[in-house]
Amino acid sequence: MTGQQTFTVLSVEELTKDYPGVRAVDQVSFVIENSTIHCLVGENGAGKSTLVKMLTGALEPTSGSMSVNGKAYAPTSPQEAREGGLATLFQELHVVDELTVLENLTLGMEKSRFGFLIKSDLEDRMIKTLAAIEPSIDPTARVSSLSVAQKQIIEIARAASSGANIIIMDEPTAALSEREVERLFGVIRRLRESNVTVIYISHKLDEIFELGDNVTVLRDGKHIATKPLSEVNGRAELIEMMIGRTVFQNYTPRAGIGDKVVLQAQGVTNKLLKNVSFDIKEGEIVGFYGLVGAGKTEIARALFGADPFEGSVTYKGKPVGTTPKEAIASGIALVPEERRTQGLFTELTIRENVPVMNLPRVSKSGIFKARDVRDASLRYVDQLGIATSSIEKHAEKLSGGNQQKVVFAKCLFSKADLLLLDEPTRGVDVGAKTEIYDIIKELADEGDAIAVFSSELEEVLGICDRVFLMFDGHLQEEITNGPDVDIAHILNVVTGGHEGDVI
Amino acid sequence: MMSITQQTNASELTFGAKVSGFFQNYYIYFVLVAVVAILASANLDQFDLFERGNFLNKRNIINILRISAPLLVLAGTFTLLMVSGYIDLSVGSVMGLSAVVYALLAINGVPFLPAFVLTMIIGAGLGAINGLLVVRLNITPVIATLITLSLFKGAALLLVQDGVSAIKSGNGLKMPSWFNSYGREGVLLNLPASFWVAAAVTILLIIIQNRGTLGKYAAATGGNPTAAKLSGINTGRTVFTLYVIVGVSAALAGIARSSFMSLGDPLSGDGMELTAILVVLLGGTAFSGGEGKVLRSFVGALIIMALTVGMLTIVPAYYQAFVIGSALLLAAASNHFISQKGKAS
Repeated sequence: MTGQQTFTVLSVEELTKDYPGVRAVDQVSFVIENSTIHCLVGENGAGKSTLVKMLTGALEPTSGSMSVNGKAYAPTSPQEAREGGLATLFQELHVVDELTVLENLTLGMEKSRFGFLIKSDLEDRMIKTLAAIEPSIDPTARVSSLSVAQKQIIEIARAASSGANIIIMDEPTAALSEREVERLFGVIRRLRESNVTVIYISHKLDEIFELGDNVTVLRDGKHIATKPLSEVNGRAELIEMMIGRTVFQNYTPRAGIGDKVVLQAQGVTNKLLKNVSFDIKEGEIVGFYGLVGAGKTEIARALFGADPFEGSVTYKGKPVGTTPKEAIASGIALVPEERRTQGLFTELTIRENVPVMNLPRVSKSGIFKARDVRDASLRYVDQLGIATSSIEKHAEKLSGGNQQKVVFAKCLFSKADLLLLDEPTRGVDVGAKTEIYDIIKELADEGDAIAVFSSELEEVLGICDRVFLMFDGHLQEEITNGPDVDIAHILNVVTGGHEGDVI
Repeated sequence: MMSITQQTNASELTFGAKVSGFFQNYYIYFVLVAVVAILASANLDQFDLFERGNFLNKRNIINILRISAPLLVLAGTFTLLMVSGYIDLSVGSVMGLSAVVYALLAINGVPFLPAFVLTMIIGAGLGAINGLLVVRLNITPVIATLITLSLFKGAALLLVQDGVSAIKSGNGLKMPSWFNSYGREGVLLNLPASFWVAAAVTILLIIIQNRGTLGKYAAATGGNPTAAKLSGINTGRTVFTLYVIVGVSAALAGIARSSFMSLGDPLSGDGMELTAILVVLLGGTAFSGGEGKVLRSFVGALIIMALTVGMLTIVPAYYQAFVIGSALLLAAASNHFISQKGKAS
């Protein structure tokens, strides 16, 4: 860094955010200095995204205060945050494919007379900004012809030239190739040189060490530390700060795992997955654990026939189908991550939801038998403990946990014996979580094979018999669950640590 | 370093993408040439509207162009609206209502210019109603404009009253002599004012599309509404403005047709929404918004008119709806095909 004066560009004081029953961010205070790359790390659920949402005006803090450039700062919308000098690089891209690079850069800021665009120094300034941070992008090119990384750089250029002196980047490398990551890092460093402060959020610890000046660690909503990365003693210290020493686990080894391998995956490779191989046994609960973007959901989708892949997957000795319909017919069911939009028909009742995946089972000549449907629904409401006054209740009126149980009922009704559960307890309260875990264990005890895809370590270590650790599309390691599981090692692996790293 | 810049150079498109891009940009002109060639080879033995002999003689071309004026004046604004991702099914009714209003004004002694301007203002008002329904009341564009299709058509029928089918001379009232000159009388190159107004509107819209804020905001709204909003663009106002100018151009279309036919027919715009959609799709505008060019739609309109008129000379009129439906299906399917192709490469 140059010898310029350092001062505080953003300070956060006693910032707190309460949700019903949970304190997501708990009296967090720290400061960020100007022209630095400031990293924000923490486990899933540590409060990073809640904090970022408060910084960008998407959420209002319960208490506490923020200031930017010495002035009080309390944005109520992304627009206001932008006016306060703080821009965000969203994970999903906000560029217009049909316009050119330059048209995108000036979008909404153009000068016009009588509704006609007039030349202004704005365009020159944009071209200069773009050339300064990434000279290889042609301003006259159509944005649709650019790569994801280049589109991202256009958003950065927009933010930088609109006068923002703080840019928040949330997992900006999630969709980038290695080469593109290097380019992005170059851009970020050039931003720092031009007096822009970057708040960089990433699960990939290598990136943090490569890029960052300072780091702030959050854990369970609390501020753990803010210090220069040069004073952090390697990945080990960072991981220790992230997890503390209190990850409890209550896994009890289960009897009844069969010897028969029901699902065998060999060298599964597609856009994101790289040569993934594993097997699942009868009556077994396996977990796929990794951070956002590691490839968990992609495995679930591949097994379910929702995404194409190379390599082979056999279920009960036969290759799995290439469509969800075939997968369901062969006995595989997926409980998707977004249950409200992908798993449930929220406008239908419980009774109408339950048989959806296997209507022929209760139908005769295309007409379904009302009594059978009702009996089945009642049976599952009872068996899964769905708390409802009636099976005629609309799914949208149920709590998150009960909605999830209805999705389970759907899968069970389809006679699936391999359940793929993508983030099965997301957005579910603590009580219902335990109930869902019990249901999962019961199903496995009855012989079903179950795969849990989760970004919560506690969940995976609580119920899974074997855990596959994912990073960046690779299945890095398989561990057998038990009392001597090394949590620091797991976190090292899923954050991109290499085998030789000393923990 | 070299390999990186090469790999990501924006101009480095695959061959397939280049071909499909070129095709999308220029195929419409090839289609026009093909249609003209086919028509040129046709020989007419008998048809009262057209001269015998070679189909493409001067009089026939002028005839086609002046019949085309209503569609030509509508195609450009309709394109911009579809580029923004919206649609207006009420244009035919706006046309019919405008035709009736214009004829009523004229037959009651209002001179040309006030009648003309007043009808345009009414068109703008009808467009504004559509805009309000869609932007303020958040009604899906198809539903909102289907509602106004019925409303405006109903209003036009009420204005004509029972017993007669259109506003025309009779019952002691007489259409002024100037009434049909706007749509018929050659003012330049033997083409009537209605055609030149359509041409001028098209040129203005081409400029607006390429150099105007409205054109850019339409593309941004249709391409990525979230990005447009986050850039501080008032997408609601953009869409509202587009509905208003579509209303104005539908009124111009109504005036042109009313003048050409010398009467105010409330049903004179029936089916216009389908023809307009066909023309815009034929011009390569994406159904999903974001893409599309005014000039290509103008050419598309010429093609459709040449085909319809050409068709009139060989098949009975009642085949038209079916043929237009088939052409729409074809255009929509190829639109899908082209956009898939673009994505794949």
